[in-house]
Amino acid sequence: MTLYKSLMIVLIGFVCIACNGDAKKEDDEWLKKEPWEQISKKATGITVNFMMWQGSPVVNDYINNYVAPTIKREYNIDLKISGGQGPEIVQLVMGEKQANVQNGQVDIVWINGETFFQLRKIKGLWGPFVEQLPNTQFIDFDNTYINTDFQQPVDYMECPWSINQFAMVYNSAKVSSPPKNLRELEAYVKKYPGTFTISNDFTGMTMLKSFLAELAGGPKALDGPFDEEKYDILSKQLWNFINVNKAYFWKEGETFPKEQSKMNQLFANGELYIVYGFNEGGIEDKVFSGLYPKSTKGYPWENGTIRNTNYLGILDNAPQKAGAMQVINFLISPEAQFEKAKADGMDANTVLDLSKLSEAWQKKFKNAPQRKYGISMEKLKAHAMQEPAPEYMIRLYEDFRTKVIEK
Amino acid sequence: MKNRIPHIGLVLFILVGILPFALAFIYALLYSFGIVGVVNTGFTFKFWLAVLHSGEFFKSLIYSTSIALVSMIASVGGALWITIKFRQNLEKKFLSFIAYLPLAIPGVATGFFIFQLLSKGGFFARISYAVGWINEATDFPDLVNDTFAFGITLAFITMVLPFFVLLFLNVFKNERLDELSILAQSLGATRRQVVRRIQLPILLKKTRILIVLYFIFLLGSYEIPLILGQESPQMLSVLIIREIKQYDLDKISEGYVVAVLYTIIVSVAVLLLFLPKRKNALL
Repeated sequence: MTLYKSLMIVLIGFVCIACNGDAKKEDDEWLKKEPWEQISKKATGITVNFMMWQGSPVVNDYINNYVAPTIKREYNIDLKISGGQGPEIVQLVMGEKQANVQNGQVDIVWINGETFFQLRKIKGLWGPFVEQLPNTQFIDFDNTYINTDFQQPVDYMECPWSINQFAMVYNSAKVSSPPKNLRELEAYVKKYPGTFTISNDFTGMTMLKSFLAELAGGPKALDGPFDEEKYDILSKQLWNFINVNKAYFWKEGETFPKEQSKMNQLFANGELYIVYGFNEGGIEDKVFSGLYPKSTKGYPWENGTIRNTNYLGILDNAPQKAGAMQVINFLISPEAQFEKAKADGMDANTVLDLSKLSEAWQKKFKNAPQRKYGISMEKLKAHAMQEPAPEYMIRLYEDFRTKVIEK
Repeated sequence: MKNRIPHIGLVLFILVGILPFALAFIYALLYSFGIVGVVNTGFTFKFWLAVLHSGEFFKSLIYSTSIALVSMIASVGGALWITIKFRQNLEKKFLSFIAYLPLAIPGVATGFFIFQLLSKGGFFARISYAVGWINEATDFPDLVNDTFAFGITLAFITMVLPFFVLLFLNVFKNERLDELSILAQSLGATRRQVVRRIQLPILLKKTRILIVLYFIFLLGSYEIPLILGQESPQMLSVLIIREIKQYDLDKISEGYVVAVLYTIIVSVAVLLLFLPKRKNALL
């Protein structure tokens, strides 16, 4: 009886703690209408939590040694960084929603279209807030690569931070003329067996979207809402192409690298001659750090590769929304964007429309250090395509597993 | 008041050992039926049917069981052989220190270490290339991320074998196997009979529970198969995490189905293994 009683007491206590949650958050709706001066006034002497991908030393260097100290100095805001990207952010938001946490751990998140789609689905984002930021005057919101994310209107729910394009990467010491379309890829894998693969992640699926568009007959072929019938026909051809040729892929196509970082490693140690990735291939810092050989080059895929923007969002239960707005406004300021665009630093293309900037800034951007090894986004311009609707990604993930990997 | 004191330990055990696990299990169960979950809409069997139908879970279960079984047989067998054969040498300080070393290395590090040694661009591949045994990096045999899980098995063995060597050495001492062996030999047993009828049975009987627990531990291990495994089939924990973190939020519940199934199977196996013997012991 006593045991039963003590257990009950503990259990009831536990349930009380679990149900209690925390106090109702204050109403932040006024921030969407208030003049910037008021918002700015509120956003001082506080701590703002920023969850972002921390997998690159140049990104961390930019954030820790430039952004955080500048924000502290100019706005008296402490910027706390925590590591996490796509799935972690979505898991965190889902967990907090489940537990009805009103004041979450994170204010700002760095996301791409994939996560934007998921966060919109679970109503995890707060906004629209972007129009309130004074520095958006330098951004061209008529640019479809900025106002549309995975075929969904951005609706000022997330603020553009950098723009980039997917590019192919090859080792010019090993391959003289890399494949630029599927026909050439087929010939390539037969000539250099084992040196090409598809990573089973966001990067690999993005490559498959380019292939799908090529099979459909052009870079615009996948634009618009998801078309089941079109997908079925095209994907059948795609899986057929891969299954016929995968014997010449890395490890005879029996397995595929789990993620891009693993694929990059295989390129670095000479197993693969061709890889690919966002950020125009992501070559510059890897050659500088000695991971990639100096013979590494970026090049376009004939039918086009995806160009997209990555964004900053504010979470629905962010405790410091005004502070988050202040930080994001700084991150899209000409000075912060210029610092971020330096090729020997974070090397991320600015989202600002240079023609909207003052002449002095225009000059500065044009004279900034250029890339030595990577291809510029300008050179890929003729080969850019829009990100197709998110359902293509969902289906490609699933079918790549069931129709290729498990075959 | 007096009555309560003996219960404190039990309450603490239930609180720390059982309650969190039970709550997590209930949560997973509710999730798997679509009762909780931000994007779930209500009770449904569809996730269970999808998992049972796809067959991936069973493939993964068989795959994980085979790897864990092979690794355990190799580790325990190897450890027995080492203990019986080299017992005297191992009692020296330095050698026992070396045996302890792998136990201090976390799974992730072991995984990376094996990868660095055995991948096609790894240490052995480079040596083979330098010596001229292979002409290209791709000529080196597939030892990691491979179909037969060679890399995973090797990593498991490097982790488990030293532990069992130490364990067997202790049992050897505590059970006074040396004295027993001498006694048996003086009564006319051959060296072979001593090993097969005295040393092996006692060593295995005394460590039976630990062997089973280690097997379960390997069955559910995550980091090593994540680093060294292939994309399909995957070991159970890798499969569960993949399903739970997947892009299609509508299907996250399938991950919880796999987790619940796995928990049930392991719990039932443990109960079957340990319960009847305890009853006999009580009798």
